[in-house]
Amino acid sequence: MSSGTPRHSVLLRLALSGGRSDRLRIALTAVGSAATTLLLLTAASVVCISTGDGPYRLAVLDQPGLRPGVIIALLLLTAPLAIFMGLCTRVGAPARDRRLAMFRMAGATPAEVTRIAALETGLAALLGSLFGVAAFAVGRLLLDRTTMGTFMVIAADGSKRSDIGIVRLLPTDVDVPFPVIVAVAALVTIGATVASAVALRRVRISAFGMTRSVPTNPPTKTAALLFVVGSGGLVGLGVVSRSSASSLPVLVGLSFALFAMCVVGLLMGSASLSASVGRLVAPRVSRPDLLIAGRRMIDAPYTASRAAASVVLAVLVGGAVLGTRANFLASQDPSDTFYADTFDLLSIVLGAAIVLSAANLVITTSEAIVERRRTLAALVAGGTPRAVLARAAIMESLVPLVPSVALASAAGLLAARSFFGTTVERLASFDVDGGNEFATVDVPVPWTQLVVLGGGAIAISVLATTISLVFLRASTRPSEIRAAA
Amino acid sequence: MNRHAPIPSLHPAGGATSDADRPVLSARSIVYSYGNTPALRGVSVQVGAGEIVAITGPSGSGKSTLMLCLAGVLQPDAGDVEFRGRLVSDASESERSALRRSDFGILFQFGQLVPELTAAENVALPLLLSGVKRKAAITAATTWLDRFGVADHAASRPTEMSGGQVQRAAAARAMVTEPSVLFADEPTGALDALAGEQVMSQIVRVARESATSVVIITHDATVAAYGDREVVVRDGMIDHARDGIGS
Repeated sequence: MSSGTPRHSVLLRLALSGGRSDRLRIALTAVGSAATTLLLLTAASVVCISTGDGPYRLAVLDQPGLRPGVIIALLLLTAPLAIFMGLCTRVGAPARDRRLAMFRMAGATPAEVTRIAALETGLAALLGSLFGVAAFAVGRLLLDRTTMGTFMVIAADGSKRSDIGIVRLLPTDVDVPFPVIVAVAALVTIGATVASAVALRRVRISAFGMTRSVPTNPPTKTAALLFVVGSGGLVGLGVVSRSSASSLPVLVGLSFALFAMCVVGLLMGSASLSASVGRLVAPRVSRPDLLIAGRRMIDAPYTASRAAASVVLAVLVGGAVLGTRANFLASQDPSDTFYADTFDLLSIVLGAAIVLSAANLVITTSEAIVERRRTLAALVAGGTPRAVLARAAIMESLVPLVPSVALASAAGLLAARSFFGTTVERLASFDVDGGNEFATVDVPVPWTQLVVLGGGAIAISVLATTISLVFLRASTRPSEIRAAA
Repeated sequence: MNRHAPIPSLHPAGGATSDADRPVLSARSIVYSYGNTPALRGVSVQVGAGEIVAITGPSGSGKSTLMLCLAGVLQPDAGDVEFRGRLVSDASESERSALRRSDFGILFQFGQLVPELTAAENVALPLLLSGVKRKAAITAATTWLDRFGVADHAASRPTEMSGGQVQRAAAARAMVTEPSVLFADEPTGALDALAGEQVMSQIVRVARESATSVVIITHDATVAAYGDREVVVRDGMIDHARDGIGS
């Protein structure tokens, strides 16, 4: 009998030997990886645009000063995808945990079992990345269209003039260097693999099963402190940066750090809020759906907040974008639609980010249903209407989401108003001799857009949670009562 | 297929039939298949008021499917299930749900308590579903937990209780609505012999006190012995050679 490290081929075979839910997890990870790779390569295309490329029909691509905005928007879209890939590691987790426990029973060490799980994710991510690269190459060929249009020409003296000629819709003429393509594919693959290994850090794998240690008491004070310091810091930084000359790199670095604090505080806070609401509601209510939702919120406060993470992040950024938009539009002549068009484009990207984020809710809610299918099937067999369980699942998802979305949109808006101010100077009268007159104009608070942002995010989240309830019927069939736990 | 097999019953044939003698629950020639695999092939069975019937048979014989059809969880492909003269098998899903909530209690092999709820909340859940206020529901739940000897664990979560305690709390949940029929699917399957005996004797005692009919699904002869009679299911049919009234 030989002992020692198992061959890689054995680990590979074990990694890919799962059932239906394992194949679903692999497929979803691959899809997430492909989409992330595609977005990153698109961002790389924009980064690689040089003076010889173009011109492009869209000003945000054609004008060098506006390209960073496009790059940031594309990177912003990768955030929900990264969270999506992280959540994919939880799809079919109970079945996978049992399979991994069987490997332990058969003699695999905990490290080998972690490697098997990480290998599975890594291979799925690699497959997805390669598909993403292929889709990028094919997309460049298919979308390489030219048309007649206007574009801006910058002369040698720096002056700008408008011209008419052949323009491209997208930067499909830009060659992304091969090493960059390899680096993006490798980054996505390695990132997913490492994330998978990290996700197993709280899991103790034994031959008798896997124990997942989940913190049950979310830190309320730390969350509040992080949010208050983060959002307050952003406001303060905005005021300071307007009143005195500040170094741009320092300003950007500090802004990102405070923004991150704000996000972490919100996410921890939503878990804490979830548990607090649960503790308030569960011991008092007579409604069974509220009772089940309330107890779930106490028991698993991170479930909903984890799923809501990317929605909250997108809304926070959305609040900041709305604040910035209001400021820019207030300082411009209403007949000049350039900034309005640019911000509309950014709003579409944000909308896409929120939809992608809501897709994460589908995964989390359906996973929570499938995980508890034996209990739920027994309740339905005992006469509990499925509608009661459906309402409990929706409440569990939405109770922490609603206040988090409200806080996130307010914090984003506040940060933008602090950075750009609440008043702007607008050109009131133009004088060729240089005696232009400016008027101070108040920047309006974009209440309508804020309500649309927050309400839209919540509505899309409700829709996503409702979609995931299709798993409820399948998971509460009588046959599930005897399904393995 | 034996669609017209005699219905096994303890009640003697002939003589005057009073209301008390009428079966609470009866199934006639029920057929059920999982896809192309037949599970029940024309089963007929009756359960009298306050009667304890043990349905036994080897694994895969169809006894759990029979219980699910009797309880209105599954709708048979053919045949009828009647509860107190009402046709259960033709009722809508919501009507059958309401029936299970009010007139039937179901106990499974693994207690299937909701892990996040306390034992008292688990037991109170069927009452809350019926619109009973929380305070009254919890009071009733605690009384039922007491009847099954686990009132001390009213505030405990299922994960903080032993297997036997969980099963007794689950039995209290199944009985809290004072159902006419209690269905118990392998109620001691996950327990050791001593805990199983305690659970069974308490279920039988409480059922006798409440005049509740009990349908026990088991492959364990010790558990089957708690029944007033035994109905043996084999290959989706009643094995008349071995049922409680003989052939």
